[in-house]
Amino acid sequence: MSDGMNRRRFLTVLGATGGGAALLGACGVGEEQAQKLIPYLTQPEDQVPGIATWYATTCRECPSGCGVRAKVREGRVIKLEGNPDAQVGRGHLCARGQAALEGVYNPDRVTDPLARNAQGQFEKISWTDALARFGANLKGANGHLAILTGQESGSFGDLVDELAKSLGGRHVVYEPFAFEALREGNRLAFGTTAVPSYDFARASYILSFGADFLDTWLSPVDHQTAFARAHGFAAGNPAMAKLVFVGPRMSLTGMNADEWLAPVPGTEGRLALAVASVIVRDRLASAQPDVGRLSGLLGRHTPDAVAAVCGIDAKTIERVARELAAGDGLVVAGGMAAHYPNGAEIVAAVNVLNYVTGAVGKTVQFGPNQNVEAGTFGQMAELVADMAGGRISVLVVTGTNPGHSLGGAFWQAWAKVGTKVVISPYLDETASAADLVLPELHPLEQWNDSRPRAGVWALQQPVMQPVYATARAAGDVLLAAAGKPGSFKDYLQTSWHAVHGRLGHGTSFDDFWNDALAKGGVASAASVEKVRLAAGVERILAGPPDAPALDGGAHDPVLIAFPSPTLYDGRGANKPWLQELPDPVSKIMWHSWVEVHPDTATSWGVTDGDLVVLQSPFGAVSAPVWMTPAIRPGVLAVPTGQGHTAFGRYAKDRSFNAFDLLGGAANGYAGRTFTVRVSVKTTGDHRFLATNVGDPRELGGGEEIVRSLTYAKAKALKPGDRPFRAREYPVYADSAEAGWAVAQRTEAARGNYAGHQPRWAMAIDLARCTGCSACVTACYAENNLPTVGEDLVLRRRQISWMRIERYWREDDHGLQAVVTPMLCQQCEQAPCEPVCPVFAAYHTPDGLNGQVYNRCVGTRYCANNCAYKVRYFNWFNFAERGGEWEAWPAPLDWQLNPDVTVREKGVMEKCTFCVQRIRGAQNQARLEDRTVQDGEITPACAQSCPSEAIVFGDLHDPASRVAQVSADPRGYHVFEELNTRPGITYLARVVHAEEA
Amino acid sequence: MKLESPFAQRPTPGVLAVFGELGATVDAIAALKRSGHQGFTVYSPLARHELEEALAQPVSPVRAYTLIGGIAGCSIGAWITLYMSYDWPIQVGGKPIGSIPPYVVIMFEMTVLFGALTTLLGVIFNTIMAARQRGTIAYDPRFTNDKFGIFVPAEHTDAGPVEKLLKGCGAEEVRRG
Amino acid sequence: MTTHTTTRAQTPTHHTLSYDDVTRTIARTLGSPGRGYYVLLACAVTMLGIGVICLLYLFRYGLGLAGYSMPTYWAVYITCFVFWVGIAHSGTLISAILFLFRSGWRTAVYRVAEIMTVFAVMTAGLFPLIHIGRQWFFYWLVPYPNERGLWPNFKSPLVWDEFAIGTYFTVSTCFLIMGLIPDIAAIRDVATGWRKKLYTLTALGWRGTNEQWRHYRPAYLYLAALATPLVLSVHSVVSWDFAMSQVPAWHETLFAPYFVAGAIYSGCAMVITLLIPLRAFFQLEELVTLHHFENLAKLILLTGMIVCYAYVTEYFFAWYGGPTPEREAFWYRAFGRFWWAGWTMNVCNAFLPWLLWSKRIRTNLVALFVISIFVNLGMWMERFVIIAVHLAGEPFESYVRAGYNATWADWGIMLGSFGWFFMWFLLFVKNFPAVSVAEVKEELPPPEHAGRHR
Repeated sequence: MSDGMNRRRFLTVLGATGGGAALLGACGVGEEQAQKLIPYLTQPEDQVPGIATWYATTCRECPSGCGVRAKVREGRVIKLEGNPDAQVGRGHLCARGQAALEGVYNPDRVTDPLARNAQGQFEKISWTDALARFGANLKGANGHLAILTGQESGSFGDLVDELAKSLGGRHVVYEPFAFEALREGNRLAFGTTAVPSYDFARASYILSFGADFLDTWLSPVDHQTAFARAHGFAAGNPAMAKLVFVGPRMSLTGMNADEWLAPVPGTEGRLALAVASVIVRDRLASAQPDVGRLSGLLGRHTPDAVAAVCGIDAKTIERVARELAAGDGLVVAGGMAAHYPNGAEIVAAVNVLNYVTGAVGKTVQFGPNQNVEAGTFGQMAELVADMAGGRISVLVVTGTNPGHSLGGAFWQAWAKVGTKVVISPYLDETASAADLVLPELHPLEQWNDSRPRAGVWALQQPVMQPVYATARAAGDVLLAAAGKPGSFKDYLQTSWHAVHGRLGHGTSFDDFWNDALAKGGVASAASVEKVRLAAGVERILAGPPDAPALDGGAHDPVLIAFPSPTLYDGRGANKPWLQELPDPVSKIMWHSWVEVHPDTATSWGVTDGDLVVLQSPFGAVSAPVWMTPAIRPGVLAVPTGQGHTAFGRYAKDRSFNAFDLLGGAANGYAGRTFTVRVSVKTTGDHRFLATNVGDPRELGGGEEIVRSLTYAKAKALKPGDRPFRAREYPVYADSAEAGWAVAQRTEAARGNYAGHQPRWAMAIDLARCTGCSACVTACYAENNLPTVGEDLVLRRRQISWMRIERYWREDDHGLQAVVTPMLCQQCEQAPCEPVCPVFAAYHTPDGLNGQVYNRCVGTRYCANNCAYKVRYFNWFNFAERGGEWEAWPAPLDWQLNPDVTVREKGVMEKCTFCVQRIRGAQNQARLEDRTVQDGEITPACAQSCPSEAIVFGDLHDPASRVAQVSADPRGYHVFEELNTRPGITYLARVVHAEEA
Repeated sequence: MKLESPFAQRPTPGVLAVFGELGATVDAIAALKRSGHQGFTVYSPLARHELEEALAQPVSPVRAYTLIGGIAGCSIGAWITLYMSYDWPIQVGGKPIGSIPPYVVIMFEMTVLFGALTTLLGVIFNTIMAARQRGTIAYDPRFTNDKFGIFVPAEHTDAGPVEKLLKGCGAEEVRRG
Repeated sequence: MTTHTTTRAQTPTHHTLSYDDVTRTIARTLGSPGRGYYVLLACAVTMLGIGVICLLYLFRYGLGLAGYSMPTYWAVYITCFVFWVGIAHSGTLISAILFLFRSGWRTAVYRVAEIMTVFAVMTAGLFPLIHIGRQWFFYWLVPYPNERGLWPNFKSPLVWDEFAIGTYFTVSTCFLIMGLIPDIAAIRDVATGWRKKLYTLTALGWRGTNEQWRHYRPAYLYLAALATPLVLSVHSVVSWDFAMSQVPAWHETLFAPYFVAGAIYSGCAMVITLLIPLRAFFQLEELVTLHHFENLAKLILLTGMIVCYAYVTEYFFAWYGGPTPEREAFWYRAFGRFWWAGWTMNVCNAFLPWLLWSKRIRTNLVALFVISIFVNLGMWMERFVIIAVHLAGEPFESYVRAGYNATWADWGIMLGSFGWFFMWFLLFVKNFPAVSVAEVKEELPPPEHAGRHR
């Protein structure tokens, strides 16, 4: 039959000859593609077709190194989830981590070694040739060699160190967002450059000076889980932590704060000292050793004195001090606060405050330190200087992309380096300027390990055969080029023999190794060490500069460059999932923006989308304005991550690069300064911001969707209370309604609908949800959602079954951002169902609003009639090969989940609680002749949620967790008055404000 | 008998009178009736109540068709909606599988549809049948314009008196057809 | 001629006409067409061509080519659908309801109205097929036996719609044919050449015998009796496409009468828009007189007042209902992003008809023509506001409220629908009597000799 006339070819011929080609084309009967069929005769024992295999490994999308489990189907990794056994992440994974999948399958990966030829063009060369050249370079460098890598806390870093040493060169570590200020600040205050771990779960009062611990700071996933435990409201533990965020800009972390204080940029240190001074003055905390040394100096920083400086009134300072000292306080400094020229002093001041409150040793634990000690921006600046000075003849870059985050000075120096070799999976800015590019395997395809925290050894293993067999592991390449024997895996295992020695407990190495592989690593408890104030600490108290001198015109507004929660330092920009993931704060996609306070914008006569030119001493960018109340008037903020000049189709030539505005010189603490003064020129130009925020409402909005309770009210609630219960009809109609409703239900329960059925339902705790949007990406990955691109997002054609809605509110604690996940409510009496003329939208016996894609003709009536607007339409064929709207250019289509159909153009699609997982679990239970256990089924969103805000289960099973959580007095249904009886119960958020 | 086209050439002998005036036509009809003539045909370019009164024909059976069609349509509407609902029982919006109120719309539409179609078919059927009884008879194109006409079937032996009678009633012209 | 004063009173301008004049006048309209006619026809066909091309693109690439956006899932196509269905209403109203009311003036205009009805329904019927996402599966809405044992969902207003439109098309076509038969026969008897053959065939052997009239008359009556509730029901069903949903500003019990009135309102306007040029073109001044236009204008006035009342009621209850999504929606209609659409509709449909209280305007053809154009515009805009604007201004889920911009695909296919309609209309009026022959004669005194009294 292979070359005979089969049905499809018959149709194709018919279409071609019968003049109905256009029609058939429209019906999706395209040309048949010749394909090689390979029988699965010898099937690997761990690969059962249709059954997923899970491999534990480690995420490398940011330095925090969470443990992940890779779901592999038929030899292809199709989803990444948190590894519950891992010490970091503990079963959860952020959006960036999940999007690593689009790194492996990125359509713009380097497939072959490239060398620059005489014309300055890249040409493909063989690996032998490439290694020969590379080896020659390394030997010929005789000392003038530098190997530049990203944060490598594991064996690969050691290998590079050794090689560099043996070759007489040096190993420089460069992370655009390193933690120099943190390390220097700790040295100033405690005499150690270690970065402690912070116990957010234990804290009852968290004061964050710019530290975005929920989005980009240190280990955000862990922090979020811990924070949700402390800050979430549970009927059981009435203690609910309070978070106060101090920073000129409200970040994702700031959005979750109960109170947001926006001081003058750079004065955070004074503020911390003022709080400390109040605590010491009023003896609010038990006296710590050597606090005596400080009290005098602290006296200088009276609230009144500081209030004048930082623009936070003295009363607030006094109140914060009392609240902080009242319980287990935790003060953290980082992010913006650690990016000023005086960042180190600010961190030191915060350390002093922690010390004064007695938090050090309790919520701030030295010992299990965060392993972020390698590399400073100072060393990078030195390297650049040496390059410029011609003292570097061979530069090897791998695992980092300085070409994007460093400006003109770097490129001038780059030109002076004899040979530039880049080992990278992608042609990013640095690679595309190199002389020799060696295709590297993606971290999911190669061996490595990391030590994210003292006492934690995380393993990274290849989870699938390389997508491109021609790519190689960086370690192997270096070893081969340096003429060293063995592979990097051998090197790794040798180093793990040492670990085995320490933690083996007598097991054989193989058992130890296999166990580590299965669990994703090994861990041992790291003991907490005591620290005391360092000798020179008084110098800080002598007074950090009120507001540091910044580059740029003295009267120009201050601009803050912050790491994007979705694209981070730009490494996420080539992943469409992250590009189309609305920024948690601005909700803008596919583009960058500059945050301007409405007052400032009005004074400039600009509004949303107006392009302004930002000019700093180091460069200029043209940025669209996004007006937001969540920034201090007069201050500007821009996210990093966009503005690539290379790095593949999704990243290239998109928006502006915030790094262009920053200087390349290291500051006092060998870090980089991310604040600069910019002059602002308004241009007449305008560009629409691709966002999913709705137009403003004339009569308010969102109140019914996100409900809030004051802490006092919430505590007073007794089981059975229903503060948000809405009456659908007058009391006198109760009996009639009951009788009628019962009759309707009995009439409706026929055929498949008769008998006892589960009722799949969800409970979402808004007191825990932070709006981090990990669930959104999880949904994209699990359900094959297409990314539609900026143009279609602008036309509101985004297909995002789960969206995080963000509203601004004002209460007596000032500006509040409230967030809620909005997804299909799986109504019991769904408005979408009866209007479908062909039963494509129907009710499943287990209470889901099913959607039969093959039956749907696309009248879209269901979407009109859905009050929650959670049905999405396929306006185009997003899976068409080479089509204008193709969402999965090969090999990106390898990431598609085989359990979920890819929808055709013209059909409606929606969330069905990951019905494929439900059916999978039910089938499994049937095979094992048992019933489905509670908690056995977890939709992708619930699984990913780092703050564990989403509970899923069978509402008809009174013992199930979802049934109990849904019964919480805080529970409410969105638009309950519509009597749609949603399957999703939201638990009202609880605020510390006096009235909600 | 073998079924043949209603307009097949089977000329019926008779007298055709052309009238210019409605009144004269009415008189002629009355006169013909008095003289015991049956089965004569009256042509008119439009429907006039005077003619109908003069002819006093039985009521057309078409209304029966309409009624039957309407009832049939209504019951078919009820049947398809209810049968199909229970044949493929799918719950939507928590509503009963077969719920009458929405189906009333379908029933109504089917009533009208079938009623109208049967009426049309009724007319065509009846007129064809009538034409078959008469056979092919003389006709004048003016009858659809501004003249009235009467055709009286008669063998030419006894056509004389008929001609006289029609002339007497004011026929503009009378001829044998 | 005292005996005929009553009929004369109905049509004061007819007394000079004889039966023969009527036949000739109407037969004259079917002569060989002039250049002007072919130019018009060419325009119509070109418009249709443009529409077809846009449609092919739509089939190939998907509905994304149109201006849709979340949450505006319905827009121009459904607007056109309701607009054309509305146009289709005056026809049956004039031919059926006025027939039952025995109002004689209808005879001169009802044929044009019926032609318009049939072709307008033909046009309207296309849009539901065009607007669905997978047009090639439109037949899944039809309850046909299939091996999978699948049936449509009769609870869905869209299926009611399918039945209503289908029935309406069939019945109004029957009605048109019924009325045509005697007239075609009349034309047959004066025509020559190939037309003679055509009419001989299509007259179905009509000779106006007493037997034929005997069945014809009651049948026409019963058809009228069936069509009358139908015409009222069709637009009610169309309105339920919206009223049965829970979208604020759609979910209103008022919708059925409101839509029916609006439909007749726009339908009569369209009759005037078509009849005034047609009358001049075919020199039908003797048959179609000012008197007829004034009566049409009175119909517009009546229905216009009902529409105006409906608008007021909507706003009143939105305000009276309190701060609900309903109020949100109507605030948006008046002051939202699409305020201009809302006010166009208010002015054209609620304010303009008041002019027709004046007899001078009712009897001024230029004024009537201009007003009728504005009424058509206003009614199109009304449907656009109800459908597209109220979806865009999503009042429940405030987070997804978004703008809407129609694209070339919307306008192109809309243009094509007008081309489709006018093509059929032009082809018809040149080949079949656009004014009833037999029924106009009914309004004339029958030929009698002077002084003959009975």
